[in-house]
Amino acid sequence: MSGKISSQTGLLEMWDNLRAVPRRIVDSAFRSGKPNTDRTRSTFIFGNLFLHLHSVRVHRWSLRWTTTFGLGIVCGAAFLITLVTGILLMFYYKPYPDVAYESIKDIHFIVPTGRFIRNIHRWAANIMVVAVILHMARTFYTAAYRKPREFNWLIGMGLLVITLALSFTGYLLPWDQLAYWAITIGANIAQSPREVTDALGITERFDPGEWMRLMLLGSDVVGPVALIRFYLMHVMILPLALTALMGVHFWRIRKDGGLTRPVNADQKLSPPGGDTYPVFSEAPARTYQIAAIVKGRTSQVGNGPENTVPSMPHLFYAELGLLMLTAFLCLAFSVVWDAPLKEIANPAVPENPAKAPWYYLGLQEMVSFSAFMGGFGIPAIVLIGLGLIPFVEREESGTGEWFGGPGGWPLARNSALFGLSAAIVVEAVAIRFGWIREWFPDAPQLLITFVNPGTVLTLVYASYSVWLIRRFQSTRAGAVGLFTCFLCGFVVLTIIGAYFRGPNWVFYWSPAEWPGH
Amino acid sequence: MNKNKYLLLGSSLGVLALLIVAAAQEGFREWRVIQRATQSDEGPLGVRLRQVVSPGLGTSDRCVSCHVGMDPNEQGVRGGRLMIQHADVVHDTSEFGCTICHSGQGLATEKLDAHGEVRFWPEPMIPLQFSQAGCGTCHASLGMPGLEAFRQARGAFERLDCLACHRVDGRGGTMRPDGFGMEGPDLSRAALSGYDPDWYSKHLLEWEKAESGSWKAAFAPIGEQDLRLISTYLSTRIGAAKLAEAKVHFLSNGCLGCHRVSGFGGDEGPDLTRAGEKDPGQVSFAQVQGKHTLANWFSEHFRSPASLVADSLMPAVDVSDEEIELLTMYTLSLRRRELPGTYVSKERMRVEKLEEREFASDGQTVFSAVCAGCHGKKGEGKQAPGRQVFPAIANPDFLALASDEFILETITQGRPGRKMPSWGTKEAGLKKYEISRAAEYLRKMGGVEFRTDPKTRRWLSGNSAEGKRLFASACSTCHGAEGEGKEGPALNNKALLAIATDTYLVETISGGRRRTLMEGFLTPSMARPTLSPAEIEDVVAYIRSWEGVEK
Repeated sequence: MSGKISSQTGLLEMWDNLRAVPRRIVDSAFRSGKPNTDRTRSTFIFGNLFLHLHSVRVHRWSLRWTTTFGLGIVCGAAFLITLVTGILLMFYYKPYPDVAYESIKDIHFIVPTGRFIRNIHRWAANIMVVAVILHMARTFYTAAYRKPREFNWLIGMGLLVITLALSFTGYLLPWDQLAYWAITIGANIAQSPREVTDALGITERFDPGEWMRLMLLGSDVVGPVALIRFYLMHVMILPLALTALMGVHFWRIRKDGGLTRPVNADQKLSPPGGDTYPVFSEAPARTYQIAAIVKGRTSQVGNGPENTVPSMPHLFYAELGLLMLTAFLCLAFSVVWDAPLKEIANPAVPENPAKAPWYYLGLQEMVSFSAFMGGFGIPAIVLIGLGLIPFVEREESGTGEWFGGPGGWPLARNSALFGLSAAIVVEAVAIRFGWIREWFPDAPQLLITFVNPGTVLTLVYASYSVWLIRRFQSTRAGAVGLFTCFLCGFVVLTIIGAYFRGPNWVFYWSPAEWPGH
Repeated sequence: MNKNKYLLLGSSLGVLALLIVAAAQEGFREWRVIQRATQSDEGPLGVRLRQVVSPGLGTSDRCVSCHVGMDPNEQGVRGGRLMIQHADVVHDTSEFGCTICHSGQGLATEKLDAHGEVRFWPEPMIPLQFSQAGCGTCHASLGMPGLEAFRQARGAFERLDCLACHRVDGRGGTMRPDGFGMEGPDLSRAALSGYDPDWYSKHLLEWEKAESGSWKAAFAPIGEQDLRLISTYLSTRIGAAKLAEAKVHFLSNGCLGCHRVSGFGGDEGPDLTRAGEKDPGQVSFAQVQGKHTLANWFSEHFRSPASLVADSLMPAVDVSDEEIELLTMYTLSLRRRELPGTYVSKERMRVEKLEEREFASDGQTVFSAVCAGCHGKKGEGKQAPGRQVFPAIANPDFLALASDEFILETITQGRPGRKMPSWGTKEAGLKKYEISRAAEYLRKMGGVEFRTDPKTRRWLSGNSAEGKRLFASACSTCHGAEGEGKEGPALNNKALLAIATDTYLVETISGGRRRTLMEGFLTPSMARPTLSPAEIEDVVAYIRSWEGVEK
């Protein structure tokens, strides 16, 4: 009898367990239960591999829209979107000349939603480039690169470079005229050190330009080898590098103390609203022995993380919101504008003008004056300068405030005016009156390499910056001036390259004036 | 903090809405809608992507996704204009696909893209009224006559009533009384498929054998002249009557004098071998009315070349609208694409590898295909305002003074420094017999024999210094101070002076040339000085002095 009863109990138990399976799967996945108390919200985050990059609590200052405008998250979101759409495109793309073009045509015309997905990929990539540049500007103007975040600024620069490289390598893949000639231009820019070695007459023995071009293309021409190279870089090497660096970048944000905020952030914030979860709703269960190994000038013990809210859900609303907003923008653009696809690549018919991707048009504009300086010298100067900023500028005032530091917003505004006008004036002179070569046809190449609109503009900006440092007795003021000027120069040169340059890189007010035939 | 919640909600709903829109669009792609609405004999069609893939030509043509009636795998598709079946043609559409003949974007599945009327598609469809131009992608045609010769040939073919038994381009031919096929074979493609060169003797044999019936009734011996005309006519039957006519017109306007096609032609203008493949995206339509098609661009270009192409030296082609349309069609047909070897037609192989001619080698055709462009269809000469003059070579006064040797030598050597190329010595120029036939034709057209000259080539002994003075007052207004040519031809040309005899020069000055600005200087005139025979000899002596001068 008893055996019968127990067997019944066993069956019932199994039945109960079976019914509890869904709940138990959830419970075992999120071990701390529903995130509805301070403790469970915390464990929700640090018990999760993907979420634990976040700190458990986030300062209310960080969640203000004007603090960052969410630009960093937009970069990450755009990358995520390109990653997903890119993988989908890989199902159909074939990285071999001519076949590549046909596979893009297939994606465009045949693959269900293929065109839409390719459009999204393209728009997300463009949004990513814009967002990365704006994100860097935000970081700079809020002086967020300062100690202890110097190294994260450097990682950010690495991310900028990889983002541009990703965009550039992706540009060749459709194998149309646009792609072919843009990459030809790009490869020629890589070859630009030749201008100097040629002028010195040592190209035959020492030719770093050709070496770099060969590294990029893998052959003398933009052909199958180059396509495979670009493809591998685009779908494998660069995304992996970017993902790794992004991980470090995010992790460093947390390790460097979250987002920068002004010292008086707490006073500036209004009192927390009713929807804010209280801090330390439960008594701490552990003692603060850990304080012994925490670095810091004052003990944090007793000073609760005031004015913070749990990351779950406040930060996640913001992050998910930005992800969806980015997705929305990509989708909306994709519905309206198709990604371009020109004729199949034809090495015999050069595009005229052949233009690089838009973010390189500023470089191409400078390259039109001097290949070496435009393609190599000035970008190197800019990158080194950017990298040096957090190590040379060691001031403390204005950290975490928009246009913080001496001079404030008026300085940034005036620098922008100066930067724009200087770029426009130098360009106007070069366009209207020509440059040294037009005046003295026999001028040595080295002279033109070192004295051209690009270097003149760089010099003007640098002098302006030095003048600012003296005037404000502040490196920060000089940095603001220089950064703003270069940003303005980038914008001016890019716009001229994109809209005002026609066949043979001649200036035209509009494409309608381009000579036909 | 609620702001972020609403941001998430709003953007998520937006994304959802856009995804639904995109998914819905996918189900309403043009070709899906068309196929869904289509019925065949066996009920509704399956909706699927249809294409004709030609591995040899490297094409995948999805045209049949919309033009389902033309899908080689479908029978009995019913519907409107879009569903009609392909006309019966020589080529198997399931092997050749669509774009090799019609051009357009085979991979595309939307009308505008597929027809190629979009940016960045360099090979839009050939308009329907010009569709025979598509044959030019693979085919050339050999030995085609000029207009005059073509009209005679066609006339002979009709006059001799070959159409009684033979069918040509859908006309003529009779059924056999037993109902098994035609009396004679269809000759519409005779030039391409070839025909028995012995056909006439075999016809004759049949005619002699026959007691009655069609051989007796419809055939009779033909003269040699007519036989030649018939073979000329057959050389134009390339299975594309309109294209043949277009080519005949091209060969009658002297286009080859300045343009090359498949290697042969002048070098003043661009090589036209692949002109029909011009990318419409690369030309300016600013001056072209109507649709921005290559066909419209060409027809406008024939009417006014310089307004479409800056610095163009080409004179306007002054012909009727119908002829412009034919010239446009022929230019569109010049699309000699690189093809895998097996697809190159044999007549094109003969043109490209064996340098056979695409035009007939009789004098009339050579003259109208090569010379007429500059010297006029009747050899009347031409002058566009501000350009150098092209001499009236059929002028009786000229032909009376110019020996056959003079004419042959001029065509062979050309006029260095002038537009006239050295047709005999230039790369891939005219062959010797072509030159002599053209010269023969020229003389026949002018109807004037050479007035034999008993004197030696150089008999003259005039006073060159005196001649210089006279030249300045009498000749330099038209021929230039240094004889470099203005409204009148250049006289300081060494090639001219080497060929021209003294008699030629003296007589030309004395007698002038009818219907040109050049009047005889012996004749008294109010408008200009008169020269005595001695003075004319002085002038010639002066002209001769340029022979040694490098010009």
